Amino acid sequence: MLNKSLVNSLKQIVGSENVVTGRIPLFTYSYDASLFPGRPDVVVFPTTTEMVCALFHFAAEQGLNVTPRGAGTCLSGGAVASEGGIVISMNKMNRIIDINQVNRTILVEAGVINKSIQAAAEPFGLMFAPDPASLNVSTIGGNIAENAGGIRGVKYGCTKDHVLGLEVVIPSGEVVKTGQLLSISDAQIDLSYFLCGSEGTLGIVTKALLALTPINPEVVTMTAVFNDLGDAGDCVADIIARGVTPTTMEIMDNTLIKAVEDYAKLGLPKDAEALLLLEVDGFSSELKTQVPSIIEAFQKNRAKNYSIAGNEQERQALWKARRSANGALGKLKPSMVVQDVVVPRDRLAAMLRNVSALAKKYGIIIAQLAHAGDGNLHPHLLYDHRVPQEAEVIEHVCDEIFKEALAQGGTLSGEHGIGLEKVKYMPLAFSQESISYMKQLKNAFDPESHFNPGKLLP
Amino acid sequence: MKHMELVETIMKCNRCAACHDVCPTYKISGDEFSVARGRLRLLRMGLENQINLDAEPELERFVNECLLCKACEVNCPSNVPTTQIISDIRARHTAKKGLPLPKRFLYRGFFSNPRRLNLARKLARLYQKSGAQWLIKQAGIMKESNNLMPDMPNFSVRDNLPFVLNEMPEAKHKVAYFLGCSINQFFSNVGIATIKVLQANDCAVIVPELHCCGAPHQSAGDLEEYKRLARYNLDKLSELDVEAIIVDCATCGAILKEYVELFEEETEYREKAVKIKNLLADISSYLLQLGYSHGEKEIACTVTYHDPCHSVRGLKVSDASREILKNIPGISFVEMREADMCCGGAGSYGIFHPDISRKILQRKMNNYQGTGASILVTTCPACMMQLKYGMRTYDISGQVKHLVEILAESYGI
Ligand SMILES: Cc1cc2nc3c(=O)[nH]c(=O)nc-3n(C[C@H](O)[C@H](O)[C@H](O)COP(=O)(O)OP(=O)(O)OC[C@H]3O[C@@H](n4cnc5c(N)ncnc54)[C@H](O)[C@@H]3O)c2cc1C
Ligand code: SF4
Ligand code: SF4
Repeated sequence: MLNKSLVNSLKQIVGSENVVTGRIPLFTYSYDASLFPGRPDVVVFPTTTEMVCALFHFAAEQGLNVTPRGAGTCLSGGAVASEGGIVISMNKMNRIIDINQVNRTILVEAGVINKSIQAAAEPFGLMFAPDPASLNVSTIGGNIAENAGGIRGVKYGCTKDHVLGLEVVIPSGEVVKTGQLLSISDAQIDLSYFLCGSEGTLGIVTKALLALTPINPEVVTMTAVFNDLGDAGDCVADIIARGVTPTTMEIMDNTLIKAVEDYAKLGLPKDAEALLLLEVDGFSSELKTQVPSIIEAFQKNRAKNYSIAGNEQERQALWKARRSANGALGKLKPSMVVQDVVVPRDRLAAMLRNVSALAKKYGIIIAQLAHAGDGNLHPHLLYDHRVPQEAEVIEHVCDEIFKEALAQGGTLSGEHGIGLEKVKYMPLAFSQESISYMKQLKNAFDPESHFNPGKLLP
Repeated sequence: MKHMELVETIMKCNRCAACHDVCPTYKISGDEFSVARGRLRLLRMGLENQINLDAEPELERFVNECLLCKACEVNCPSNVPTTQIISDIRARHTAKKGLPLPKRFLYRGFFSNPRRLNLARKLARLYQKSGAQWLIKQAGIMKESNNLMPDMPNFSVRDNLPFVLNEMPEAKHKVAYFLGCSINQFFSNVGIATIKVLQANDCAVIVPELHCCGAPHQSAGDLEEYKRLARYNLDKLSELDVEAIIVDCATCGAILKEYVELFEEETEYREKAVKIKNLLADISSYLLQLGYSHGEKEIACTVTYHDPCHSVRGLKVSDASREILKNIPGISFVEMREADMCCGGAGSYGIFHPDISRKILQRKMNNYQGTGASILVTTCPACMMQLKYGMRTYDISGQVKHLVEILAESYGI
């Protein structure tokens, strides 16, 4: 708890309606979408960059910890104040400042929700390419901090590939501009790129200049069914090797297919070992050559059968299986942990098989969903939190999955971030030199280590 | 729900925040304690005794600020039944502490008692006509109810029945009309239009004498009174020999449907509730199912439609009303943004949470103005009250109408 005079100073900075200090309301800022708790002493909602600067000056003077927060959808604990202090919630700094059709750019404040950016761009035939599954609610500040990627990431990349420039307030309270917000010249050390994915440990993004992408006129959606999970993985690698870049390639394993079918009754083959959902976009002339090539890959990799959506309704029907995953798994067991490892695309098949083997070995349910195009696997580990042994086993299996991913030449996190959750694995994934280099960078921005402490770096 | 079951149900929330996208109280505030995810967290902490569920005024406030609009629920990937959980907790609070006085006065005093509600309309009309409004505007809650009060009609629907109901022994269909309190007392034009439209489609109509459906009591957590009213209605309704029970109030309809869950543990009433639920039909769907006759009189204007929560998420009716509107000759229909977002009326919510209610209403009104429509159509009297209040407050020159009013107009009746 902060004393009254400190609270009053904060009220002077952001206005009293933008300060939350009550014991009860603070509990609602003690979580994000992960399982990690952390209660702040106060939550503030700045609405201008100047307010953010003043907040940093204040925090530095008082030696208080600061944790930035967007919508609180982080899956690795990044948005919780695990060591107390001030939470700066950016969600009320949410204006779209400018949209430029000719340059295909949009300038927004950090609290703008991804979906609002999509809605603003759409009338111009444009989109913001990064489309994390949380796009209806997550903020662009959070997307940048986590370098969020989405379903169309295979073709269009992640958030960092679409950030042109940033306005950032660094822990000293200074405002720094990067990339094209600093100058259109490339002759600069562009800090934008490494702020993306730094998980809010270096400063608070207050504004972002983003690149928009034309929406392609045609989309083809297909699914293919496989008798072997590894075949599906190989098929994905094969399609890319043929020079086709679909927007989406999602693999569901047998456990997930069965759960979805029981839940949503879509007529999925419950005996299939894998289902591949795939989408390509482009001009019709491009699709004319790509679609046959994909079908060839299906056949070569022993797909049992495949289907192509003939219209929007059929397209939605194919997508429905993917969208029902969450609800379906909730029916099997009350709790679940979603892992987020990445392996090189050519190791996908091996990794999928090995995760299935782990499930068998430990006698637990693991449903696998993979953003296969990126080699990003999401094993969903189901358990019952009321049974202590189950939770223990799950933690152990998570460890094994990480080790397996690293052994395959992969890494710890595709899109959920390191946060609090995976800090302990960092020394396994990175060399001592790399970690110490990252720490020096962190030090340059935040020598006192008051800014989002405990996250990302061990 | 039992304690353990409540905890288990809340645990299904995996904090994904999908509710941010649809919860009206979050949309206008951006506060985590004003959204399903936050409310559920506090309740869970209360149920797990980390905080005192029954003695934290702030917790109670956040729980009471929920509109029970169900938007979070239908959108929740984990299917968390948030409104059911919140209603249970409110019932628990009410059982422990009793209803706060103003609610008791309003709900048990008036809505539970048809004669007193009738008298209230007459007094209110007198008060509106006599210019004594300024006097009562001074007091807080009275001020809010005063703002919301529609222009009181001279006669209730029931007063009018002898002049409206036709004997139709040869009629093809026989239906009962569930005449809700608000329509009866505050919007008699609507009730009369419903009866006339039904009759014009060869339905003989009976209007049984019933009690309030119990919506206000349910929302306040007054379970005991809610059950009493529900039992009475079920007894009366199940004696009827009709092919359908028609509602033109989305709230009454949704609540009548919920009687089934209310009596989960009482076989006799559960059976009755199931029977009534099967007979229940909202006026739009029923007309479409009949193959109703389209009106002939041209109504040349642009209209838009507001989905009442109890219609779109309670009765699961939204396309039917739009279809009927679009069929009316001369009408041009425009969809408004966030048409299915709660208007902030939520029964008597506006009276007890005026600030939040007004902000939500303002958003609704902006969306309405964005359409350029001259008539805002809906199918629930509680929404009509709130929307009319919005028109007055923001000085908007449009009209609020119930679907059946326009339909009756196009019939020339
Ligand atoms: C159902 C669900 C689906 C998801 N799907 C995906 C997906 O497909 N792809 C994906 O990549 N992620 C996904 N995520 C994870 C999460 O949504 C993303 O990481 C998202 O970018 C977080 O945004 P947020 O606004 O919620 O940020 P928060 O969770 O509030 O914060 C995330 C991190 O960013 C920091 N931060 C927030 N705002 C700022 C700012 N302005 N400046 C600096 N740092 C800041 C915080 O300190 C924290 O460390 C999903 C999450 C959920 C719950
Ligand atoms: S949408 Fe459902 S599961 Fe997600 S946070 Fe809201 S209530 Fe919880
Ligand atoms: S019922 Fe409506 S107001 Fe209540 S939490 Fe859900 S969306 Fe929000």
